[in-house]
Amino acid sequence: MGTTEPVAAARPRRRRRGHYTAYLYLLPALLLIVGITYFGVGYNFWASTLDWNGIDPNPTSIGLGNYVEISQDPIFWTALTNVAVFGVITIVAQMVIGLALALVLSGPIVGRAVYKAIVFIPVVLAPAAISTAFRQFLRPDGQVNAVLDAVGLGFLSQAWIADPTWALYALAAVNIFQWTGFSFILYQAALSQIDSSHLEAAQIDGAGTWRTIRHIIVPQLRSTHITLALTGVIGALKTFDIVFLITGGGPGRSTEFLTTYIYKMSISQFHVGYGAALSVVLLLLALALTLVQMRVYRYEQED
Amino acid sequence: MIGRPTHRSRVIHQLLATVAVLPFALPLYWIIAISFEGAGASANYSAVVTKTPFVQFLINSLVMSAGTVAIVFVCTMLAGYALGKLHFAGRELLFRAIVAGMMLPVIALIVPIYMLVRQAGLFNNFLAVIIPLCTVILPMTILLTRNYIQGLPEELLDAAKIDGATSFGTLIRVVMPLSRPIVAVIIVWSFLNSWNEFLLPLLFLQNESLQAITQIPTYFTATYGSDVPKIFAALVLMCLPIVTAYLCFQKFFERGLTAGALK
Repeated sequence: MGTTEPVAAARPRRRRRGHYTAYLYLLPALLLIVGITYFGVGYNFWASTLDWNGIDPNPTSIGLGNYVEISQDPIFWTALTNVAVFGVITIVAQMVIGLALALVLSGPIVGRAVYKAIVFIPVVLAPAAISTAFRQFLRPDGQVNAVLDAVGLGFLSQAWIADPTWALYALAAVNIFQWTGFSFILYQAALSQIDSSHLEAAQIDGAGTWRTIRHIIVPQLRSTHITLALTGVIGALKTFDIVFLITGGGPGRSTEFLTTYIYKMSISQFHVGYGAALSVVLLLLALALTLVQMRVYRYEQED
Repeated sequence: MIGRPTHRSRVIHQLLATVAVLPFALPLYWIIAISFEGAGASANYSAVVTKTPFVQFLINSLVMSAGTVAIVFVCTMLAGYALGKLHFAGRELLFRAIVAGMMLPVIALIVPIYMLVRQAGLFNNFLAVIIPLCTVILPMTILLTRNYIQGLPEELLDAAKIDGATSFGTLIRVVMPLSRPIVAVIIVWSFLNSWNEFLLPLLFLQNESLQAITQIPTYFTATYGSDVPKIFAALVLMCLPIVTAYLCFQKFFERGLTAGALK
């Protein structure tokens, strides 16, 4: 460390020291990530080959038995379908509404900051708080139906979360309420990057507002669309809190998600081996979908 | 942005914006309005604060969030610096190994985490929540920090080196002061994720005096049944800290939350 040493002589020693300290710097993060994430993934693979309640010290190995069972498990397929439907609805709606809000709020608006804050506040709220509130709002005598009544759409009133036909859509609506602020902010940032001369050129060419949006603005936001689709897919696969707290997967299995099914199997019903196998399926799904989207993303970038 | 603002278009814009924001404003308004119903605002709120362990839950959540933020911050700065500026064998490999965990949902690791917590005897211990939380937050914060630190000008670090600074000294005196924007992102991201975490406290903190603030609604419903206004008063109190923080540091929150998406 001596500052009096000639720089040339000190250099090789420093470099070597830097070499080892680098691993030291990485150690805390690596301990956590290897110790929990990597250990966890490995443990899941191992536990997924067992018929195990999580307590028995001598579980029976059943090879791929759990996976065979999963492939024939109607609840698994229901859960997968539910996640897919939920994912498509929420991703599309959050993108469309987020972009619409960003466009509308880019106009000459008084109190823009207040509007923006209102849309973004749900993003920072705990899903646990939002879920509790919406359980109340979505009751048959709740606020949502009251509003429908008030605007003359009383015939649309539903028991929402108590009705198996509507419960999944109700959950999607709650998710849209919470997360649209996120896509809104991203679109707003991207819109501010668009060269306004393009827009002016389009207007001079006589393109109307709608045509300007469709043909000039929407294509230029491509990387934001892709980012939102990517985070949306992972977000849908991860969704747990609002389902667990609003419907608990019901009525029946009408809102069962892979995550709630994993929770029920591993924690409530002690089918730890089966829960681990479901977890592996969820991990592989998340990984596969991410890889596919990264591919698309890269392909688009090269375009 | 589109068209020239005439008086008429101004009015139309304002109307459109108000209608578009209404579905977001109404539920927020209802949450507050319902908390004023029943016995009245002051009775509801004072009942929540004085007759329930609300304050205890709040303190517990603060402790867990502070612990998570601190651990994530230290691990992220050290790792981000090493991966961004130091040269060593296997750097790229280690970087990828760390970032690969980014897409993992916690729930997919619930079986192994449960077994680890049981093995380590950490039930009813904040560490059972803090450590897994840090693990899922780290890949994202390390990715962002490494990219940021990598972009810092090499000359500044070289100058420190010539002045005889150790690599740790360089981190503290040169890199850290230049990293304020990314530090804000790390803090916002890790605080929000820990403050709002529901599943881990649910699983590992069964002792009533240790519960997190996200357990408030469940706790209330179990204890008070259908006293809806009081439950909503608790919701308002539970959301207040995070909404206040957001309103004070809007820029950091928006940047912190979207930084991951923008890479």
